[in-house]
Amino acid sequence: MLGARMSRWLIAVPMALLALATVYPLVFTANAAMKTRRDYILDRFSLADTLRWDNISTAWTTAGTARYFFNSVLVVAGAVTLLLLFGSMAGFALSHLRFRGSRALLLGCLAALFVPFQVIMVPLVRTMADTGLVDTYPGLILAYTAQFLPFTIYLMTSYYSAIPAEIVDAARIDGNTPYGVYRRIMLPIGRPALLSVGVLNALFCWNDVLIALLMMPSAEHRTLMVGVTSLRGQYTADIPTFASGVLIAAVPVLAVYLFFQRRIADAVTAGSTKG
Amino acid sequence: MSAERLAPFVLIAPAVLIIVLFRLWPLLLGVNFSFTGDGDRNGAAVGLDNYAELFADPLFRGALRNVGWLVLLLPVAVAIPGMLATFIYLRVPGHRLYRSVYFFPAVLSPVIVGSIFNLLLSFDGPLNSLLDVVGIGPVDWLGDSKVALFTVVGVHVWATFGMALVVFLSGFATLDPALLDAARSDGAALPQVIRHVIIPGLSRTIQFVFVTTMIGMLTSMFGLIYVMTSGGPGGSTYLPEYYIWIQQGQMNRPAFASAASTVLFLVMLVVGLAQVSFLRRTGKED
Repeated sequence: MLGARMSRWLIAVPMALLALATVYPLVFTANAAMKTRRDYILDRFSLADTLRWDNISTAWTTAGTARYFFNSVLVVAGAVTLLLLFGSMAGFALSHLRFRGSRALLLGCLAALFVPFQVIMVPLVRTMADTGLVDTYPGLILAYTAQFLPFTIYLMTSYYSAIPAEIVDAARIDGNTPYGVYRRIMLPIGRPALLSVGVLNALFCWNDVLIALLMMPSAEHRTLMVGVTSLRGQYTADIPTFASGVLIAAVPVLAVYLFFQRRIADAVTAGSTKG
Repeated sequence: MSAERLAPFVLIAPAVLIIVLFRLWPLLLGVNFSFTGDGDRNGAAVGLDNYAELFADPLFRGALRNVGWLVLLLPVAVAIPGMLATFIYLRVPGHRLYRSVYFFPAVLSPVIVGSIFNLLLSFDGPLNSLLDVVGIGPVDWLGDSKVALFTVVGVHVWATFGMALVVFLSGFATLDPALLDAARSDGAALPQVIRHVIIPGLSRTIQFVFVTTMIGMLTSMFGLIYVMTSGGPGGSTYLPEYYIWIQQGQMNRPAFASAASTVLFLVMLVVGLAQVSFLRRTGKED
């Protein structure tokens, strides 16, 4: 018994070290952002003596992070709105309305789930260019919506499938059209799932770099992640300002993680137990 | 009545339109496109020329070789979160904390992760000065063509093992605790418990993690490569996805890039199917 307890503590030591290694890189970056260039070059590890916000404000204004931040917020908000709207509409239809071809549609949707972006990116960008959508906000919003819609539909369909058909039938007897059922029953009931899927999709879109690089070539349309990669070239010799840009990009994600940790983990694992 | 009949189609129309137009149609278009030429021969049918050129290109062959390395490293990338999840499930001291701390890098963008590790791993950077204290190194983590790929994969694993960890933990939740208790009271040691209770009980979860980890390695390392190595040094960290991006975005050779996309799709299909059948077989033996 004592031996078992001992070995548990022995395992806990490397696990604690690993936890430290998980958090430390970000702490290092935040610390670097608070230092002057001189301080950083002289000693990277020591704690910054004061909370110095100069670098953050340089990164925000001079380096143009504010603009990139705004672009990202706009695009993520647009894409998540479309994803939740179209995803819940399709999820409701696929789970509760009987119509010809519904199974085939669900299968097609699952198939799309397994087509990685890298495989379709060349023709997709060409289609987008032909329709004048490259380098526009609607273009990137549509690209994100297309990318994450199959996953959203899959999760919403499985969530709605667990809702008993009697609820829908009762609402229909009360004189609701299918649209009424969607608006008055399905949207409110689906709120927890919509929140989880929404948070996860927001993270995916916020974090993406490949799609944004392809769809938004001009500098003023850069999203935050693309902007951070460009900061690196601009501020090679000024690590604290670069670290500040990285921090600005990471903080919203950290905030979302702290608030929605449970939901994110649940949404990630939702595919594993069913698939 | 006809408005009622129409309702499901109206509800599903936007989703279908977007998926067909921007996911499925481009797939067909791309395969088709890969048999045409670029530049002067734009649009002309060139048969298998693009594929021939592709397999003659040392950079692309290097990218495929790197995929081979990823496949070899895959068991490690699955075993690490698997072991950690086992310990958390067995409630090592502090397990609640570990669960949320380990998952946290998984929500960070590859761009952020890559940028941070660029600072930490630079030749005169913190990790090397730390190793110097212990008397090792310095290692040129990102500048040595023999090391760089493994550095990038290591960072990728650091950033994503939390994802696999929560999947494993949700698998553990379905495991029958009575089996574990029985094994414990029979005096089974941890390795035996893992081999005879946990692995067979979690075979579906393990299968899922294998496939998703592989897909993750093949399709979500672009950000890290873009930020950390740009495919270098000497092309040693090229992966197919990065190669496709270079050909499309930098070289302006979309048809050629489409051929590379098609090959990547086939590689993923083959690797995925091979894995599933391999894991099914080993699962049955237990």
